[in-house]
Amino acid sequence: MDRFEATQWLVAHLTDQPVISNLGPATGDLFVAGDRPLNFYMWGALGVTSAVGLGVALATPDRKVLILDGDGSLLMGLGTLATIADQAPKNLVHIVWDNSQWAETGGQPTHTATVADLAAIARGAGVGKALRVERLEEFQEAVRRALQEDGPWCIVARIQERGRKGFPPNEPEANLLTFRRALKSS
Amino acid sequence: MDWKATLVACLKEKGVPFVAYVPDGATWQILSLMQKDPFFHLIRCTREDEAIGIASGTYAAGSRGVAFMQSSGLGNCVNVLGSLNVTYRIPVPLVVALRGELGEFNIAQVPVGRAVRPILESLGLHHFTLDRPEGVEALSRGALDLCYSGRLPVALLVSTLLTGAKRG
Repeated sequence: MDRFEATQWLVAHLTDQPVISNLGPATGDLFVAGDRPLNFYMWGALGVTSAVGLGVALATPDRKVLILDGDGSLLMGLGTLATIADQAPKNLVHIVWDNSQWAETGGQPTHTATVADLAAIARGAGVGKALRVERLEEFQEAVRRALQEDGPWCIVARIQERGRKGFPPNEPEANLLTFRRALKSS
Repeated sequence: MDWKATLVACLKEKGVPFVAYVPDGATWQILSLMQKDPFFHLIRCTREDEAIGIASGTYAAGSRGVAFMQSSGLGNCVNVLGSLNVTYRIPVPLVVALRGELGEFNIAQVPVGRAVRPILESLGLHHFTLDRPEGVEALSRGALDLCYSGRLPVALLVSTLLTGAKRG
């Protein structure tokens, strides 16, 4: 499937759910697909995106919280899958755009290009609702369920890398304040 | 109140319910007190930068979180502190148990123990050392106020003078 197409569909089906996006393509496509106050765009801290999303989820138990992670970032922070499973936040939906490459640095193949299976790793860490989806229709069905049913969910979406569509303004502090205010007021 | 209970009371007073940690013998003296208090939500972590990431997420969501770690683990946190906390101005108090200083038995703890303050200073972050019970209340309260007003992490470095050195 195409990441931008999937991101556009996702944003169109969100209401008040915060989204935390990984640096590079996930952040760029989320911004172009639909900038909103409840988007938190990561620009650095590779490997820590899922941890930030877990923190948001623990502090926002009354609504679903989505993470748009990447295979490169999740491979750097695999331990967080165990922490997610240990905390078991029902409201967490962890989506991993798996393009089997470090796209932002030139497309070098990651470990998922050869042997690593992130959905199996998530299940092994204790995330029971972990699945791998290949086609857009499968992704849509998984997300519909994840927005309705208790999690934590880990949806590993296999994508063809076609390059990110853009970038948000490089204004992290403004993004943090907007996001925080939007969550506190809504 | 002993110094550990004082530190816990300060975190409670400043409204910091989320506690992300990688434990060690020294910080566990504090964390085990928090485990008994329903105000706190403890999160065991696999890495120290993960703990800072989780605590940062709770702040982004309008709450507050603290990260507990041993000094060796601060070495795992340079990038997250720089590219997340300093970049976005996300205040996370750090409680760091000092190894590699007074009474250390293990040479492997010494280099990063020596690097703790230079790491924090190179990122422009304040740190305060807790080494006497009578100073804990003023330093903890003051550091937490500074953390949230300055919107940057502030580290409380806990000396073995308070916790006792690990003896091998």
